[in-house]
Amino acid sequence: MRRLGSRLGSILESDPRKNPNAVVFLLLALGAIAFPIGVQIVTRGSGSFLISQAADAGVYVLLAIGLNVVVGFAGLLDLGYAAFFAIGAYTYAFVASDHMEFTPIHQAIHIPFWIALLVGMFAAATAGAILGAPTLRLRGDYLAIVTLGFGEIVPRLFRNAATWTSGVNGISALDTPALPIWINGPWSGDAFAVVQNFKIIDPLAYYVIMAILVAISVVLVNNLRRSRMGRAWMAVREDEVAAAAMGVNTVGVKLLAFGIGAAFSGFAGTFYGAKLSLVSPENFGFTVSITILIMVVLGGMGNIPGVIVGALLIYYVIFNILPGLPQQAADFANSIGATGLNTPSGDWPGLSGEVQRLKFLIFGLILVLTMLLRPQGLLPSRQRAEELQKGVHEDTVIEDLNAETT
Amino acid sequence: MGLLDVAGINVFYGRVQALRGVSLSINPGEIVALIGSNGAGKTTTLRTVSGLSHPTTGRVVFDGRDITASPAHEVVRAGIGHSPEGRRLFPRMIVLDNLMMGTYSRKDRAGIPSDIARVYDLFPRLKERTKQLAGTLSGGEQQMLAIGRALMARPKLLMLDEPSLGLAPILCETIFRVLTEINTQGTPILLVEQNASKALEVAHRAYVLETGSIVQTGTGKELLSSPDVQRAYLGM
Repeated sequence: MRRLGSRLGSILESDPRKNPNAVVFLLLALGAIAFPIGVQIVTRGSGSFLISQAADAGVYVLLAIGLNVVVGFAGLLDLGYAAFFAIGAYTYAFVASDHMEFTPIHQAIHIPFWIALLVGMFAAATAGAILGAPTLRLRGDYLAIVTLGFGEIVPRLFRNAATWTSGVNGISALDTPALPIWINGPWSGDAFAVVQNFKIIDPLAYYVIMAILVAISVVLVNNLRRSRMGRAWMAVREDEVAAAAMGVNTVGVKLLAFGIGAAFSGFAGTFYGAKLSLVSPENFGFTVSITILIMVVLGGMGNIPGVIVGALLIYYVIFNILPGLPQQAADFANSIGATGLNTPSGDWPGLSGEVQRLKFLIFGLILVLTMLLRPQGLLPSRQRAEELQKGVHEDTVIEDLNAETT
Repeated sequence: MGLLDVAGINVFYGRVQALRGVSLSINPGEIVALIGSNGAGKTTTLRTVSGLSHPTTGRVVFDGRDITASPAHEVVRAGIGHSPEGRRLFPRMIVLDNLMMGTYSRKDRAGIPSDIARVYDLFPRLKERTKQLAGTLSGGEQQMLAIGRALMARPKLLMLDEPSLGLAPILCETIFRVLTEINTQGTPILLVEQNASKALEVAHRAYVLETGSIVQTGTGKELLSSPDVQRAYLGM
């Protein structure tokens, strides 16, 4: 706690010109506190949907922070990150619902949410280690392919192992979490119950839980980045042979990055399962993995505030802007008097229908434009910014035959 | 028995034999040079000692310990600092972090600040650029950083692969002057060089490698005056 205090102190005192991240962190923290209050004022007390959505966005923030450790810090392209998300969510479903009664175990398990979080983390990290141990000797593209495969296998496994997971139906009626008694406030519906069975709690409570989880994760990851381990990750990302020559056990530190990334994903998955009170194999497909990767790259790979901002923005675009776009297009056509556009005829489905079809084309265009205009990401780490501005020249590395096989 | 004893190592890259029964030794306090033309096996020798490659037969013994089959990170822990070919800095990390990577396998955290000061003493240019990304340094500065980084491990043996490669003659002089200084401060050096005349000048002893075998050995002075070496490597 004292370390946390001194860290906050150093963020407040540090020169913003030297440490722009401190400013962004501060703005994010203030924003997180102001958001629910602001929403309630603006919507005159009926903003619970927005607050609930913000808590969902927090799941993606957690995922992006975790994937950033793998991709941004250690430079390992993981295309199957959603698999660990699924493992976290399913773990929660197994240990915090009546579901186990209908499996060969015939005994329902109900573990309190806060302990289940750790269990979910542990399960995902273990899966990460099991996948990583044999595959992290692979480099670059090959690792990407293996993780891609893993990302496809895991949801399929959950779908097909129906005896244990009820297959496509998923598992529903998961326990809802409760805040611990000591953070009692207006948000806690019935804070004294450790587990509230199938009771919908206030969205604000989810928001507060999520804010706490994100804050913990940010502090953890930020410390990791500055640690000896963080430097080793960067070194492995930069040049694996040189890192080995420095005494870094490259497979070991990559495995650790993979495991920690997976742990965050499991963390997020547990919360996700708890909030939705439902897990289904359809929710953890390839698109989820790619969306998280987009958040990391677009926000600014390797830079924690950048990744958070990227996750929030992409979430906003995907879940708020894109779904509203068809209606807005139709309204716009009406307002300029081109009502004819809205009438379906022949192949023309009407403007809103057409926009509905083109939704993801528009999303793609937004991504392409962002990457063209800001290839380093929205809030890049100093390294990436300088690399693209000044052109850090890679050394003339004379590769020998052995370099690829070590 | 020397500090490092390499005994009859054979190394293959696939089906190509890179080293044929290479044996060499380094005694405490020495600078030993390994010279030879392109493809003679100089880099492979260093890589084999540092555990980046492994011999099919033969033994590598360092400080009384068999490190033939040890992976690179254990060899570093045993006390061999390797500044690999092509410098291999971490281009997107700052100078200070590159130096800190050199301390990765050190046990005594307390000695690090004074060692950083020592590297900055040897190479004042690095001190000026301490917060700059390594990739933005000039070639000479990168070489200084590569040597400094290897020193940060406080190695019992420092291995340098082509420290003068691609450097202007004046920088070359600086590098070799500093190498001698590092050596007089007590660190033995195994030096691989194409710049044979410079290497033989500073080296106590040297080995000549040709197509994977050691063909000649002697003190630096002896080899400098050897007709074979003069013809093949000194262009006389």
